[in-house]
Amino acid sequence: MKVLAGRVAIAVAVLALWEAVAAPLNPLFYVRPSALPGALLAMWRVPELPPLAAHVWLTVKEILAAYAIAVTAGLWLGFLLGLRTTVGRIYEPLLAALYAVPSVIWYPSLMLFFGLGPASKIAFGVLLGFFPVVLSVLAGIRQVPPTLVTVARSMGARPFTVFRKVMLPAMASTMVGGLRAGLALAVVGVLVGEILGARAGVGYVISYAYGLMMTREYAVLAVLVGAGVLALDTAGALVEARVKRWAG
Amino acid sequence: MGRLGVLGCQALSLAALLLLWDLAVRTGVADPLFVPTPAAVAAALGSTAREALSRLGDTLLKALAGYVLAVGLGVAAGLWLGARRFPHAVAMPYVVAAYGVPKVLVLPWIALICGLGATTAVLTATLFAVFPIVLMVAAGTRDVDPTLVTAAVSMGATRGQVSRKVLLPAVLPSVVAGMRVGIVFAMLGVLLAEMFAGTRGMGFLMQRMALAFRAPDLFAATAIVSALSIVVVLSLEHWSRRLSRWR
Repeated sequence: MKVLAGRVAIAVAVLALWEAVAAPLNPLFYVRPSALPGALLAMWRVPELPPLAAHVWLTVKEILAAYAIAVTAGLWLGFLLGLRTTVGRIYEPLLAALYAVPSVIWYPSLMLFFGLGPASKIAFGVLLGFFPVVLSVLAGIRQVPPTLVTVARSMGARPFTVFRKVMLPAMASTMVGGLRAGLALAVVGVLVGEILGARAGVGYVISYAYGLMMTREYAVLAVLVGAGVLALDTAGALVEARVKRWAG
Repeated sequence: MGRLGVLGCQALSLAALLLLWDLAVRTGVADPLFVPTPAAVAAALGSTAREALSRLGDTLLKALAGYVLAVGLGVAAGLWLGARRFPHAVAMPYVVAAYGVPKVLVLPWIALICGLGATTAVLTATLFAVFPIVLMVAAGTRDVDPTLVTAAVSMGATRGQVSRKVLLPAVLPSVVAGMRVGIVFAMLGVLLAEMFAGTRGMGFLMQRMALAFRAPDLFAATAIVSALSIVVVLSLEHWSRRLSRWR
């Protein structure tokens, strides 16, 4: 109860402070939180801004495509490197080295190669979302107790049964964590791509509003997208908790 | 397979990849306007390195400034939140939320207020790097075994001795882990800020190369920055492994 009160107090204090600081300042740069709801209502009617629904839908489609590809590729490569130990010893260090590179530097090349359309955003989302999936599969496989696999095999379990009944439960919680992180990064990749260079999508509208100094509209969009991402991540956390309970 | 065999296979795979890339461009599968041949990239490496050198220094300096800020803030906040139960319970959901929200969303506002210069890049780097550091340090601090502290205190250790001899070695690995993650995030933040709203630096240069269709130069620049960050991160990793052995 005290904790909850503390949390509410922080939220209220931050909003009040923001309001107090922003009130006397230029509204072109500093948007007051109390101005946001009005701006949201006005936005549905602003003719300067492109119709929002189509952009949101495009971004959602890009994210879904990026995530689907990242998960497929990530699971495949993760199991390949994790189950074939020789292949893993050769390619895991290369993967780790690649992971150390700040990912934004790939974006200009992707933009050049795939153009300003959705393809470059999907490619960047795949690139970002792919790593946590692969790494979590590799970490998960390492967590499987080898004795359990040996026991199951010696009792005559077929490879698929071993995989389903022994390996999957042991790997599940790590893997689900990676899948969740992968979704978050796929979202980031698509948004970054749209903000850096695009002709459509939510990130494009944000960048557009920024370019025209429509700060209120930008702030509304940023808050909404942030809230949407948080909601998605919370849903992911719930799924993760369920899977962890299932895996015990 | 021995260590040499693994290295040989890695080298062979990279060579095969380069060959495949070269073939793809030569046979017209990939358009040379967008994907230069490896030979063209290698030829561009010298001139790009000269062009990139000062900008890379600029970028690294900004990343370092943002990183130092993030480590200072993040370690302090992480230690404080990790050591106290009530602030941890109250504030942690906000830290986790701030960690989860894509920081790109705030970038336009920072650029609007701080302009197109170094301040924007440094602040973005700090913003990117600070939350993972807070999370890792707070988790590490919470996991310190309380019996260690009790034992030290009951044997008459002073507050200072407890912090130096018990808490510091126990927390150090998570601080180092946080610092290691932070460096990549700080680089990421600076490069992103430069690409979005920069007039200098490596990110700006690469964005401009892409918009000018200077594909060989862009690939060479990407290779240079990649190699540099791999060296930095791997040497940090080596250093942190030695540190954990010392402990």
